[in-house]
Amino acid sequence: MYPRWLWPGFAFPGVLWLIILFVVPFYAVIGVAFGTVDPILLSAVPIWNPLEWNVGWVNETLTRLAPGGDLWVVFVRTCEYVFVSLGLSLLIGYPVAYYIARHASRTKNMLLILLILPFWISYLMRMLAWVNLLAPDGFVNRFLQFAHIIDQPYGFLDGQSSTVILALVYGYIPYLILPLYASLDRIDKSQIEAARDLGASPFRAFLHVTLPLSKTGILGGCVLIALPMFGDYYTPNLVSGAPTTSMLGNQIDLYFHSTSQPTIGAALTILLSLFLVVLMGYYLITVARATRNLESV
Amino acid sequence: MTWHPKERGATRRDFLMRSGGAALGLSSAGSLLAACGNSTTPSGGGGTGAGGEPVGPGGLPLARPDKRVTLPMWENPIESGLEPETGGTFTVFNYPAYFWKKLLKDFGKKYGVEVQYTPFDNIASGIQQLAAGSVQPDVMEMTPDHLDQVVAGKLIKPLNLDYIPNLQKNIWPELVDPFYDGGSHYTVPYTTYATGILWRNDQVTEDIASMQQPWDIFWQAQAYKGKTALLSEDRETIAMALLRKGITDINTEDPKQIDQAVSDLKELYGICNIKVGDSQYQTIPEGTAWLNQAWSGDPIAAYIYYLPAKTPSTTLSYWKAPKGHVPVQNDCFSICSTTKKPVLAHLFLNWMIDNGIAKSNFINFNGYQPPLNEIEPTGLLEELRKVRNASWGTTDKAPPENLQTAILTNDDFGPDTIQEMTLTAEGNALWQNGYSDFLSGG
Repeated sequence: MYPRWLWPGFAFPGVLWLIILFVVPFYAVIGVAFGTVDPILLSAVPIWNPLEWNVGWVNETLTRLAPGGDLWVVFVRTCEYVFVSLGLSLLIGYPVAYYIARHASRTKNMLLILLILPFWISYLMRMLAWVNLLAPDGFVNRFLQFAHIIDQPYGFLDGQSSTVILALVYGYIPYLILPLYASLDRIDKSQIEAARDLGASPFRAFLHVTLPLSKTGILGGCVLIALPMFGDYYTPNLVSGAPTTSMLGNQIDLYFHSTSQPTIGAALTILLSLFLVVLMGYYLITVARATRNLESV
Repeated sequence: MTWHPKERGATRRDFLMRSGGAALGLSSAGSLLAACGNSTTPSGGGGTGAGGEPVGPGGLPLARPDKRVTLPMWENPIESGLEPETGGTFTVFNYPAYFWKKLLKDFGKKYGVEVQYTPFDNIASGIQQLAAGSVQPDVMEMTPDHLDQVVAGKLIKPLNLDYIPNLQKNIWPELVDPFYDGGSHYTVPYTTYATGILWRNDQVTEDIASMQQPWDIFWQAQAYKGKTALLSEDRETIAMALLRKGITDINTEDPKQIDQAVSDLKELYGICNIKVGDSQYQTIPEGTAWLNQAWSGDPIAAYIYYLPAKTPSTTLSYWKAPKGHVPVQNDCFSICSTTKKPVLAHLFLNWMIDNGIAKSNFINFNGYQPPLNEIEPTGLLEELRKVRNASWGTTDKAPPENLQTAILTNDDFGPDTIQEMTLTAEGNALWQNGYSDFLSGG
């Protein structure tokens, strides 16, 4: 017989990892957000005891983030960029994942390797490569001019929202495709065959069987890329640099790195996290419900 | 999204209700937390002194070009006549690529130490790192507007000027005994610069230097949409908008003036989709930007290092306002309290303002002018031309005439100049939040 603690004990490294690398740092951010500022060094002085928390910075930040506040527009823009990027990523990523899972029998491994390939190069390098490609004398503009699609170089890097969104899509789409592929690959083919046997067209079989069964994969992939997108700041910095395309991450970066008010940066981080918890909650509820439904079938 | 008939998909209404619930929960939490403290001002972080005058961090007086301040020494400087420490590592804490590493290597060789160059993102984050103890440098780049903070926080050490004879010998008189550090108790000047406008003549058609108010060019830059940028610095950006309106007090803490400046800056979104960044020394000569707020070191670096050989050097132009209307700055070096080699640190400060070293660092690498008596503008331009020709294989007969505007002299400094200096804590917040508002893009 194994001792009772053995199997739960396997969770210990994971729990420890979570505590050291997530719980403690996150509580530090909370401590800073509800803390004060050193009067001389103007650095953050965290307050660890919740009973002594100073809510001034969080309240001020909340006011600025509310409709009418100066940060509201950044919040809305960030949501717009992330949701449009998610939509585009799904439009591009779903067919790719579907093809690999269902139709790429012999080339499956090769395609998966190709999908993972971008991870071998750092995100920053990939974005810098795009900056060169999209420059006025870059490959993209030269090709478009060669093909007589445009007469003059197009200002992709002139502070365009579309460039930021496309860069976000490019940067994060592999993270969406992989869980989506895993989810599609797990679907029992006999269920789709059953739908076809019962007279469903391929499209109806996809619509009523494959798509619903891949919902958890879709949501999982979306959550996986939405979370880093919400905190992203270097993508708009690299491919735009215009305030009109800045995201909440840029404000957090500004307050943490270039001002004497890191507390506002921490407060913004906390409020953004709370917003993401709402989205995450929706994902968890949906997944739980889908699992229950599958179990009851 | 289509739901499988067996699933009861959450509706948008459900989602909104849940989000609303969470928001309600958040606001309730806010009410509960209202019982806690509620402050957004660092007490003692500057404000008003005993006499009602504004003071900076630690209650130190705020220096201005026309108001000289002598900072108190929080400990005695090291004694004279000590031998420099040898062996081990000597750490220079500075902006990235702001000191020629070849020269630092030479210094290390001369004194038998290994010189390590540790960069920081910006001076504020560098000071935070120093205060947190995450770095233990020997010397650090310093700016006059942060001096109160590091002195009050005892992060830098008082100097013994006996070890730094080059200060008196080589440096402009205006900066030997500067207004922000009377008696040079803590700093030795490193570089000087002014803030102006850098543009490409082949793209920008206006004669900016002849305009009644050259800063207006940014508000007339419809034709340069997406190719126009400002420095990504709260002080520089807002100060520019103040100067455009004729306000020369670029250390103002009047909320009305700051609000108006931010509001003016926001007009630039629609006019030219303004960008912010600090790489104008590269983007302008390479042609990815056409019009930029820029420091005076930028056109020099652009001319020497970044302007492609095939592009005529007359493509670049720079403008800066006359004295009293142009923000001038100087960077300094200080000895950190964390140093284990205080004597060597003094010798480093003396070495870096040696005529040969400072000039070589400027011309061969940095592009930012040291305040050396020896530098004479016409001769300097000639030297810059030679460096460009040697680096790019060009055959420029003469340096661009306009580049002379970027060269500073000691006359550019003194009591009747304007310089971005330390603010009170409230003033800092005002400027930083104003800049954040501008960066929000809405």
